[in-house]
Amino acid sequence: MTSQPQIHNGVPIPRRNQRQRRKQLAGLLFVSPALILVLTFFVIPLGMAFWMSLHNWPLLGKPRFIWFNNYTRLAQDGQFWASMRFTVYYTLVVTVAIFAVAFPLALFAEKSRKLTKIYRTAFFLPVVVGFGSASLLWAWLLDVDSGLFSPAAQSLGFTAKRVNLLADFDTTFWSIIIMVVWKTAGFNMIILLTGLQGISTEVQEAARMDGASAWQRFRRVTLPLMRRTIALALILSVSGSMLAFDQFYIIADGGPQNSTVTAVYWIFSQSFVSFHLGYGSALSMVLLVILVFISVLQLRLLRNPEGM
Amino acid sequence: MKLLKIMTLAATALGVLSTCALAQEKVTMWSRSTSEAFMPALIKAFNASHETQIELQIVPSSEMVQKYATAAAGGSAPDFVSLDLVYAPAFAKSGALEDLTDLAKSLPYFDQLSKAHVGTGTYDGRIYALPMSADASVLLWNKRLFKQAGLDPEKGPTNWSEIEEAAGKVNALGGDVHGFYFSGACGGCNAFTFMPLIWASGGDILVDDGKRATIDTPQMHEAINFYRNLVAKGLVPESAKTDSGKNFFGGFATDKIGLSPIGAFAIGNLVKNYPTVEFGVTFIPGKNGGKASFAGGDNFVVTAGRDNTKAAKEFLEFVYSIEGQTLLAKGGSLPTRADIAAEAIKSLDERYQIATEAMKIGRTPSSPVYNDIINSSTGPWKQMLNEAFFGDDARGSVAKAQAAMQSILDSSN
Repeated sequence: MTSQPQIHNGVPIPRRNQRQRRKQLAGLLFVSPALILVLTFFVIPLGMAFWMSLHNWPLLGKPRFIWFNNYTRLAQDGQFWASMRFTVYYTLVVTVAIFAVAFPLALFAEKSRKLTKIYRTAFFLPVVVGFGSASLLWAWLLDVDSGLFSPAAQSLGFTAKRVNLLADFDTTFWSIIIMVVWKTAGFNMIILLTGLQGISTEVQEAARMDGASAWQRFRRVTLPLMRRTIALALILSVSGSMLAFDQFYIIADGGPQNSTVTAVYWIFSQSFVSFHLGYGSALSMVLLVILVFISVLQLRLLRNPEGM
Repeated sequence: MKLLKIMTLAATALGVLSTCALAQEKVTMWSRSTSEAFMPALIKAFNASHETQIELQIVPSSEMVQKYATAAAGGSAPDFVSLDLVYAPAFAKSGALEDLTDLAKSLPYFDQLSKAHVGTGTYDGRIYALPMSADASVLLWNKRLFKQAGLDPEKGPTNWSEIEEAAGKVNALGGDVHGFYFSGACGGCNAFTFMPLIWASGGDILVDDGKRATIDTPQMHEAINFYRNLVAKGLVPESAKTDSGKNFFGGFATDKIGLSPIGAFAIGNLVKNYPTVEFGVTFIPGKNGGKASFAGGDNFVVTAGRDNTKAAKEFLEFVYSIEGQTLLAKGGSLPTRADIAAEAIKSLDERYQIATEAMKIGRTPSSPVYNDIINSSTGPWKQMLNEAFFGDDARGSVAKAQAAMQSILDSSN
């Protein structure tokens, strides 16, 4: 029995097209579970958040449609822009600090030597502690009376009296930077390590044969070949830092005097302390746009000239 | 015949059971975790003596408002809630609460119920919340340190200069000992303990039915200067500047603090958990004397649309009975009915008497945006106090807070 070609609008559909369609349908069926998940947990909530941002939506009481009033209000919200500026500043500093620590760690941990596995595990260990728990631990370490740093500094004679590290912006900021580097450098080290291990030893050998010094090999061979890995680590670090909240909420409570209130902290405060869910949604939408813009910019800057 | 008998008996038993089930009304209630010491005991006693049965659920204090608001919006809220009294105006304004005006007025002792609780429970002339539990702010002093510093350990200070003098002498003992403690980065704690300084000196925080903020006043500036002085003289530990409330009680409990304004809850806690701390209790005074207190605690509310006013009345009558008030007091809450308060606390530590007196004169600012202006960690009240107590520009901070608070109040009306 020979199969007849199907007819569509009086025109027979070639058999190859039918096969292609079936393939497409099968492909769609395969990705549909993922598609449903993305729709349910990302697209729909995002649409809802945007819808909420067009309302005066109190936690208590009925929502009222107000068009783009929340967006005009946030344009004049001094604390939000101060928080944005602080968040960008924090992101820049912490990203540089994390890379400054993670790269040497990766280079150190890459080489096979005695106890390599122990080094790698030790560097990675703080990553497995949640940000909330790590922040609670450091809140205690930084406590002026019952903590570790201030009493230790006084006992060792570095300071005449106990210094409250959380009472001043600079000491608060740098304490949190150190904590975040301690907490996340291991994760970045692992990412960079995979990049380093992906570089063929032959390329390194060839460079060595050509008489390139260690610095030249790092600068001219290692770094360019790690462009993709660095881009990944950078995007993860920047987007994570732009969404920083736990450590500033738990350790510093946004202080001293609101100077360490991050963008997400302000969104949280507006949404769940002041109960302005509509306004909080509008702030979130703006943060999302800024984050997308920064990520696209990073990808463009790090794009390989020969095409990644 | 036998089968008929059995069937008749079974039918009768079923009828009796269903009648019982009908008579036994079941209601649900939420209470925040800070009430864990007295609410379960109170509900147990109520259930044991009434046909109406209350099923109590303890909710973490920090989650109560969000949880109740979300549940009310979704129609899954409990029938009754014991709610922090400062949030009653916000819930009443949103229409989430049942009007209890008739029930309240039908209570013969209505006039004896805590005025501060009824005040925050009243919105637009109607009563939506009634007193459930109470706490009042008082001033504690450490008798042992007073004695060591050459002060009369049995006499607490009665005005600001006496506080400063006593704190100075205790502080002079040196070492880890300090004269005075307060949580300098906690809006809620300082509403509880700093506002009474202003009230006792003739000032106020909110006036015109909570529509106008009166922050930039001579009384506020004087009270701020009083605290600034204590800080500048080194009478307050360094940790106070960044204490967001974690050491609100713990500071005094270390036995190294001369004086600390705190809540009556501290009395029971100190007696039970820190028996070695010898302390006295007095009123929070004004600049030149007088006394004032912040009335805290919970209000009882009924979720709107629930037809259980009868059960609510039954429960409230039990709460306001001598048995209910005594149970509350034994668990650490102050009595909320003034005319039987003395009797309710007669078996307790005598220092509760001062706290009960403080409760009678207790005040609570009432506003639907209380959380925004006072409690919020990024809000104007906390920012102003932290800047004013420890910063350089106290006047500027007060002026800034006055404008910020008024702006929030205006936008909420």
